[in-house]
Formats: sequence, C-alpha cells, structure tokens
Amino acid sequence: MRVDVIMPQMGESIAEGTLTRWLKKPGDKVARDEPIFEISTDKVDAEIPSPAAGTLVEIKVQEGQTVPINVVVAQIETEAGAAAGAGKAAAQPEGPKAAPEGAKAAPAAQAPAAKQPPAASAKPAVPAGGGSDGRDRAPQAEAPAAPSAPASWGPGPSASREIPKASSLAGSGSTVDDLRRVRSSPVVRKIAQEHHVDISRLAGTGVSGRVTKKDILAAIEGGAATAARAAGAPDRSASPAPAAAAASRSSAPAPVYAPGQRSSIVPMTAMRKKIAEHMIASRRTSAHVTTVFEVDMSRVMRLREEHKQAFQERHGVKLTPTPFMVRAAVEALKAFPEINASIEGDNVVYKKDMNIGIAVALDWGLIVPVLKHADDLSLSGIAKAVADLAERARTKKLSPDDVQGGTFTITNPGIFGSLFGTPIISQPQVAILGVGVIEKRVVVVQDAIGIRPMVFLALSFDHRLIDGAVADQFMAHIKATLEQGKFAEIV
Amino acid sequence: MALTTYVEAIRQGIWEEMERDKRVFILGEDVGVYGGAFKVTEGMLAKFGEDRVIDTPISESAIVGAAIGAALLGMRPIAEMQFIDFISCAFDQITNFAAKNRYRWGAGVPMVIRGPSGGGVHGGPYHSQNPEMYFVHTPGLKVVAPATAYDAKGLIKAAIRDEDPVIYLEHKYLYRRIKEELPKEDYVVPIGVAAVRREGRDLAILTYGAMLYQALEAAEVLAKEEGVETEVVDLRSLLPLDKDAILNAAKKTGKVLVVHEDTRTGGIAGEIAAIINEEVFEYLDGPVLRVTAPDTPVPYSPPLEEFFLPNKEKILKAARQLAAY
Amino acid sequence: MRHGTAAASGGKGRGRPRAVPRPEVPARPAGRLDDEDMPAPDDALLLKMLHSMKLTRALEYRIERKLYRQGKIVGGVYVGRGQEAISVGAAVHIRRGEGEDRDDIVSPSHRDMAVFLMQGVPPERILAQYMGRKTGLTRGRDGNMHMGDLRHRLVAFISHLGDSIPVAAGCALTFVMRGTDQVSFCFFGEGATSRGDWHEGLNFAAVRRLPVVFICNNNQYAYSTHVSRQMRVERVSDRAAGYGIPGETADGNDLLAVYDRVGRAVRRARRGEGPSLLEFVTFRMTGHSAHDDAGYVPKSEFEEWGRKDPIERLQSALLRRGLVDKPSLAGMEARIEADLDEAVAWAERQPYPEPEECLDGVYHEGGPGAGDGPQGESTAWR
Repeated sequence: MRVDVIMPQMGESIAEGTLTRWLKKPGDKVARDEPIFEISTDKVDAEIPSPAAGTLVEIKVQEGQTVPINVVVAQIETEAGAAAGAGKAAAQPEGPKAAPEGAKAAPAAQAPAAKQPPAASAKPAVPAGGGSDGRDRAPQAEAPAAPSAPASWGPGPSASREIPKASSLAGSGSTVDDLRRVRSSPVVRKIAQEHHVDISRLAGTGVSGRVTKKDILAAIEGGAATAARAAGAPDRSASPAPAAAAASRSSAPAPVYAPGQRSSIVPMTAMRKKIAEHMIASRRTSAHVTTVFEVDMSRVMRLREEHKQAFQERHGVKLTPTPFMVRAAVEALKAFPEINASIEGDNVVYKKDMNIGIAVALDWGLIVPVLKHADDLSLSGIAKAVADLAERARTKKLSPDDVQGGTFTITNPGIFGSLFGTPIISQPQVAILGVGVIEKRVVVVQDAIGIRPMVFLALSFDHRLIDGAVADQFMAHIKATLEQGKFAEIV
Repeated sequence: MALTTYVEAIRQGIWEEMERDKRVFILGEDVGVYGGAFKVTEGMLAKFGEDRVIDTPISESAIVGAAIGAALLGMRPIAEMQFIDFISCAFDQITNFAAKNRYRWGAGVPMVIRGPSGGGVHGGPYHSQNPEMYFVHTPGLKVVAPATAYDAKGLIKAAIRDEDPVIYLEHKYLYRRIKEELPKEDYVVPIGVAAVRREGRDLAILTYGAMLYQALEAAEVLAKEEGVETEVVDLRSLLPLDKDAILNAAKKTGKVLVVHEDTRTGGIAGEIAAIINEEVFEYLDGPVLRVTAPDTPVPYSPPLEEFFLPNKEKILKAARQLAAY
Repeated sequence: MRHGTAAASGGKGRGRPRAVPRPEVPARPAGRLDDEDMPAPDDALLLKMLHSMKLTRALEYRIERKLYRQGKIVGGVYVGRGQEAISVGAAVHIRRGEGEDRDDIVSPSHRDMAVFLMQGVPPERILAQYMGRKTGLTRGRDGNMHMGDLRHRLVAFISHLGDSIPVAAGCALTFVMRGTDQVSFCFFGEGATSRGDWHEGLNFAAVRRLPVVFICNNNQYAYSTHVSRQMRVERVSDRAAGYGIPGETADGNDLLAVYDRVGRAVRRARRGEGPSLLEFVTFRMTGHSAHDDAGYVPKSEFEEWGRKDPIERLQSALLRRGLVDKPSLAGMEARIEADLDEAVAWAERQPYPEPEECLDGVYHEGGPGAGDGPQGESTAWR
C-alpha cells in the first residue's frame, strides 16, 4: 500500500517549507526513519526521516519548491500490513480534518440542560390555559421537545446557546413565545411606539412568530405583508383545546386591510391551530348526539338565597349554582357509570375516580380545570374547590395536574346568554354537560302559569358507548336531584 | 512592494522605534543571541547592542520588574514573554506595581509587555492561552490584540509610544499566515479604536485576533448563501474598548454576535453584551449572542483542540440563529 | 519550541545561535566587601545623622503613640523604631540634588521613614499622607508608608514586599545603559527575602552586574514570625554567595558600622563592580504596626535591645567626644518637637480629596510630558 510523505511543520507559526534536496530517488529502498529529504524554513533547516519502510515510488514536489505544510511531497510503496500502521502513525499531525467524525458529533448530542439558564432549557410549553407556575411540567401539552442544548457540551458551550424554543418563565405566567409575540424586541417596541402601531396586529416572520424589525418597518411602509392577527389575546404555545364549542373569547380586533385589499390573510396562532385540531379530532372520534332537558332551578336558587350568607361566613366562598350542578352530576354518574368512562379500541374503560372538569371563562380564553374526586366532596367542599380552581385559573397558577385526568366535563355557555349549546366532547371522555342561562321563564306548574328560574341542560354524548336511553335517564337523574334533592349538608 | 508577514511587521515596528527613540530597549528570554523564539527580534542584538537587547534569566517577575524600574526613570522598555502564557509569573508586578503606579503616586510606567498568544498550533494548555482578561480587569493597564500585519506594526508603535503600561498580544497562529503590503512611511494605529472590516446591515460580528478571519469567512458565506449582510468589527483594543464602535454596530444592525477565542466565562463578550444592554438596549432586535471557546484549559490533541476553538462553522450556526430571530 | 532534527552541517547561519564571548564571572567574594580604606564621617555629617535619627524617632513616636491613638490617622501605621541607624546610615550616601544624570534612586520599605526625611520630604507632607489628605504624597490614593515621589528620587513600594527588588534592579539597569555611575538603593526586611521576586531581582542584578545596593533590615521579626521561622540560613548575607555577589552582615544599631558598609557597597557599585547584599541586624522595638502589641516577643528581648538603642549609642559617643553636650541635645530635641507641632497643625488643616477624584489619574492624560504628578507637576524624569 501507498504511504504519503508530507511537508512537516517545523514550529508553531510555520506555514510552509521549501524542499531543498532529495536524498533518495524513485525506486530507492528506504528504511523507516531514514533521512529522505531536506527542507528549509524560516526557522531551521532539517533532514526529514521517512515515515515508513518501503520503496520511494513517486515524487510530487521538486527540489527548490516551496509548499504549505501537510502537502504530500512523495509516496512510498510499503509491504502491505507491516508498514500500514506505521505509515499512519508516523505521519505528521494532520489538521482538524483528521478529527474523527464521532468526536465532532458527540458533543452536540450531550445536553446538560440543567446547566442552562432556566428560561432556555428543558421545560416544555405551558399546557391548557396558559397557567404557569414555573414548575416543570409533564409533557402533556404538545410542546416542542425540550430544546437540545446548543451544539456544545459540558461546562461551557462553544457556540452560543440556542435561542430557546417555547419554555416557561417562572412566575410570570407568560411563556417566552408569548413575550416574543407580544413584546417582540426593544427596537420593534420603540418603532411601534413611535409610529403608533399595535405589534399584536402584525404578522411576524421571526422566531415564535415574532414581529421583527424588518416586519414592522415593512408594515409601516405599507408593504403587502401587512396583516392583522386574529387573536388579540396573548397566545399560548400549546393547549389541549377545551371541548366546549363556545370558547369564551374577548372580541378579536378588526382585521387591517392594506389599500386595495379585499381580504386580509392572517396566519393562525399556535393555540388557534390546536383548538381547531382538537375540535375536529373530537368530532371525528365520537358519535356526537345531544339531548336537552329543562330543569326548574327554584329549589336550588331558594336554598342558595337562604344559606348563602351563612355559607360565605362558614366556608369563606360564595355559594353559586355550580356546586349544585356538580353534585347532581356526580350522583347521576354513580348511577350511570358508563358515562364516567372512555373507549380504548374495543374496550370500555370504566373510571373509578370522578374527576369533573369545570370550564372557566377567562379574559383570554377558556380553561377546564379538573375537580378531582368530586364524589368525595361535600357541597361546601365542591364549592371551595371550584372557587380555588377558578381563582388559580384566573391568576394562572394551575398545575399540570389541575388540568388533567378529567372523566366528565361541565361547561357553561349560559354565561353569555345561550339557552343551550351542543358542546363538543373533551376526549377521551364520552359526555359533556352544557349548562345554559338560568333565567325566569313562564312555565306550567300544576296546570297554572308560573314564573320560575329555569335552565336548559344539554348533554352531548358519544353514541358509540352511550345510547339515548341511558343519556336521557342520566339527565333525568340530574333533573331530579336539582329539583328535589335535599342537599342536606348545606342546611 | 513585497508582502510583509504579521511577525515581520512586529519586528519592523520594534526596529523602527528603537532607531527612532534611544530610550526603547528589549529584555526577555532568548531575545538577543537567538533573535527570539519566534524570531521577532532577529538581528536586533547585532544592530542595537547588548545594552538594548538583553537576554535575561528565566525570571518573568524580574523581567517585568526591571522594566518597571527602567520605565520609572524614563526609559521605554519592551518586555517579552516568550509565550504569553508565562505572563502569569509576572502577574503581581504587572497588576500591583505597574498598573497602579500612576494612580497611587503620579509616576507613569511607559512600558510594553508583549508575547505570542492563542491556539490552533497544537501547543496545549501552556503555549496557547489567551490571558487578556486578567489584565482587562486591571485598571491602569492597556491591552491590545492586532489581527492584521498593518495593525501589528501600527499597534506595537502605539504601545511603545504610550505613556502607560500596554499588554500587546500577538497571535502566534497569524505570525506567518498573514501577509500584507505595508506602507513605507511611519504610521501608528491608535489604541482604543476598532476597525470595521466588512460592512453590513443585518448582523454585526464583533471580534479580534485570529478569529477575525473565521468571522470574515462566515460573513462571506452568509452573504452568498443567505443574503444576510454582516458587519464585521475588529476590536483591536480590549482595554480601552472602542465603545462607540460597539454601540454603533449594535444600533446599525440590532443583532450582535461576539466571537472570541478566549474562554467563555469572564471573556470580553460578556462585558460587551453588558455594555450593549446598558446603553443601546432599545436598538436590539435580538439577544447579544457569543461564540467562544468552552471553559476548559486549551487541549492538545487535534480533535480536542478543534472542538475547543471557535471556527467558521460555529460562527455560522450562531449567526444564522440570530439572523432568523 | 522546535521540532524535528537540526541539519548536521552548518552553513546557513541565519537563526542559529552564534558563539558569543561569555561575560566574565566575578570571583567568589571572600565575605567582606573590600579591604580598602573607608573614611569615617566628619563631625558635620555625624551631627546631621544624629539629628535625622532623632527627628525620625520623634515623628514616628508622634504618629504611632499619639496621633494614632487620638484617632487622627487613617488606616495603619508602620514605624521603624529602633532601626533608625540603618535608614540614616545608608541614606546619607544617597547622592541627591545634582540632577537627573547624577542623583541616585532609592526604593525604601515601610521602616525607612528616615529615608524620606533625608531625601527632602518635609514632615508635614508625611503627616498629611498618614491622615489621608489631598496634600499627602499620594493625594489620598494610598496610605502610610506606601508613598513615593520621583522628584525626591523615591520609588513607592507596594505591599507585596519583594516586588521592589526587581524594580530597583531595573533602575540600576537604566544607569548602566546611560553609562552613568548612579546607584540604586533597595531597602527590605528579612521577611521579604523569602519571596520569589527577591530571588529573581537579586539574580538579575548579579548576572548583569547592576549598581544596586541591597540593604536588608533584619529586625528579626516579620509580623509575628521570628527569623528562625523565615529561613534556614543564619545570616541573610549568606545568600549572597548563591548569587555570586559579596554579602556582609553588621550591627544595625551601630550607625557608624552601617555608614561604613553602605559606603563600601556604594563605592563598588559606582565603580561598576556590581551589586552587594548588606544585612544589618537590629530589633523591631514596636509591634509590626500600631495595632500590634508584639505580645509574641519575649519582654527580655525588648529589654536587651533597648539597651542597645542606636540613638543612645551615637549620642553617648558624641557626648564623650564633646561634639554635643546635654543642653545642645535638649535644644535639638526641643526644636524638633516644636517643628513637629507646627507640622501636625498644618497637616490637620489639610483638606481631604474630593470624592470624584477617585476616578482621576488612572491613565496618562494630555500629551507627552504633561505634568502627571500629584498636583500636576511632573514627577517623571524626562
């Protein structure tokens, strides 16, 4: 085999050498370490020993020529095997090209994410509702995977840190994505202020959909890319969409049209995309049917009136209709366990726990915290738990646990005045109860006209598992509880 | 006119100053008879004599201390550290004597401490260091690091003529790899002034020393392949920093990447990022990023050293991230 | 670092070490500096030296035992009580007032207040320095004995004892380069000789045969560390042989012995015979500093050395000779005290520096030659 003979580096700062004399000619036999040629550099003249034993077969650089270091000046034909290892070993240290690929690749894979500043590292995105308490979350949300540490390793990355993907900032409740989109960068904010432009109305081409300096300047100059955002709210990077069709939202800002435009194209926010996906997925999964019952709430409302003061004083929370609803639902679920179940393949999975999701309307959207083990709670217990969840939802202090594991959901389209809705089931549950507006209506009471606070309760259920008869009996049970139930413990 | 290498430019600068000013002299190990480990002082003993080209014992503390004593009396000594790595032996004299003299009792120390720094030559931990920050951290000193042959000559002259102690960091990797045509006439490159090597609006890279060339190569790739125009600023002086140049680059582009061969923690990139943050925060369109060596001693074996050193690819990666932000 | 094998045959010349004549190595010194005659000081000089010692003693006493305990001093106080003969007996040999190319340069240590006084720094400036005032020698930049002034040919030392030795050698190197017979005086304690810089400086001065007079004040204690814990050799001057230079030890409380030895060393240096290492054995009659009561020193040592007080000894000798009498001594003392009273009053009236002055003077401002002294005056030799 052939072994290269190269121009060596005779000193740290030496970059080239002149081959002054060949001591051997092609065809000569050379022993290993035997002087084979002479060179001259800025610093020194030297005899260069052969890297291998064999026959000098090819001279590539002539006497008097100056070449850069590591250039091949000749080749030696060795006896295969014996010289092979020697040839490689004796070669001058090559430049970085010789570095094994493994060495280059390996460090990139190591990611002591713990060493990164908190904002940058392994925290996945905030799940439903944007609540964040800064703690690490189970990757329930469709967060991007923990960003790999930058292509560097150990104590100090050799490259700068990767610009972090979605991650949580402790305590603030906003993700980095949020901040990028809403606050962008100092220069963009400054330009926005100077030109009275609302950053949130612009489409951004930067990371996380951020409006970059180029974007805002282009927008100001009336470029074709100007567009408004649909969602005025700070967006969350990922959330399992609330199953309720009536997602509560603040009114979207009006779209901005450039001169001559008849339509305005605005890219979806990540959250909107996820809601869209979830909704259609749920529709595709379950055989949605809705049944509607009307319930007389006078008893509940009267109990409320009578006891709300004492209740407030005793338990420190308001007594709303919600705990009554939850209580009634729980009793009904006990009677009809198939509604507290889910479908996996060809199996029905009955759940022992009764974890009731309670949809909470927030300024920026809807979130469904889960009241765990509702069947273990008294009315006051439920009231307190609901109040706590609602409060934490509003202050963005929900934990991942708070929004997981629901077995049945109650939603409330009635707060905006809807009579009843046809809510979309929150997978993998099989039913969802929508509570309409509680309002006084004219009803027939014992063949007379009465005025009672009435409410429509709508149950959407998955007909794969729940038949209409079961659903209706379930609802009748709820109705009975609400209209006649003792709710003894509040008395 | 012939091309002058970076090392030859330093040699010329010193030679010309020694001719011009009789107070200038050199002391260090092997600088006289041998002409210096890297031949920076070749021929000077013969030309200027034993009194002005002094071969010392291995005593960096005494080399610097003696230079201080001579400078106090009005001489202009150039103290050579054979490898700048050995400057640590004289740390006390430099930081506690030379740096503080003027402040304490008004007596200036017009001396130069110079030597080859930097890696990329398989030198290992003690022949590859970038010790600038120990001295950038010391008020009273000046620290410069030329990257071009032109600057090497201009800055050694400026350092010799300066009234305060100057640490002059040569980069050994550049010694014979950089060649330029130099003007015949006398010229000085002012200390504390950076140089814009390439103009651009999209991104700015601030760097110095051997990394300048890696940055320029990266800038070329960015322009050709991505249409990103990069401003490349050669800092040249680390103390004092050319704050105006730094701030202008940040204001012009809004996106700054600092690149240095020095290790990460306590490297000047942190200082620069802090300055930018403090003074032109409102102009930023992205975080100030840095590409540096990791926090380890300089390793010796080629794959390790290659991992250690920043290079064009690493700069490109960071620059692309920043450009896309 | 060089790699590879050097070519066997010569013929290139460039970059290869040339044979140069080696500098001559001086013969190993016999112990004494020389055997020549050294003239004794004349009467005027003796009186001057006595006065200097008494002034130093009085000023340091005022600072250490009075002002410091009155809270009028900023920071620490380090005096050379009992060691005045060394500073005075040596300083009297420092050539001064003859111009840049004639004056010697001196690097004193913290026990050498006498050197400052004898180089012409008035007591009130020293007091202002100790009080941190704007008109102290360092404008409040550094405290107590950390002061210097090139106009008075005084190099300020730094707290890192031992660092001054190479610097003093560098000054001497400059004299050699200029071809003058100026001398560099370097004072240090026995503790400083343990530092690496001391070794490097001595070695460098020895190799280059520089005109340095190295004066070791061996007062036997470095803070609380007795000299027996500082070194294994009996005498600091024993080390001189290790550098190939002469070394000698003498009684540091004998002014005339100090005067004699330093005179010889200076003579050697001026002749170009190179450096000498002088050791003067004395005793530190106070604590390391004003806040140290030296409880670690056996009382008997204080008593023993108190009996050998250098000022007492010189006074007695001069009294015996009739050069002074009791009244003239009393008069000298009274004048010294009165002068110090005025000096203290002056110093106490001096302003403190302005706070923003903190930022000034780190670097040279203005063109070359612009005044860079504490009050704008030029202190550098130009």
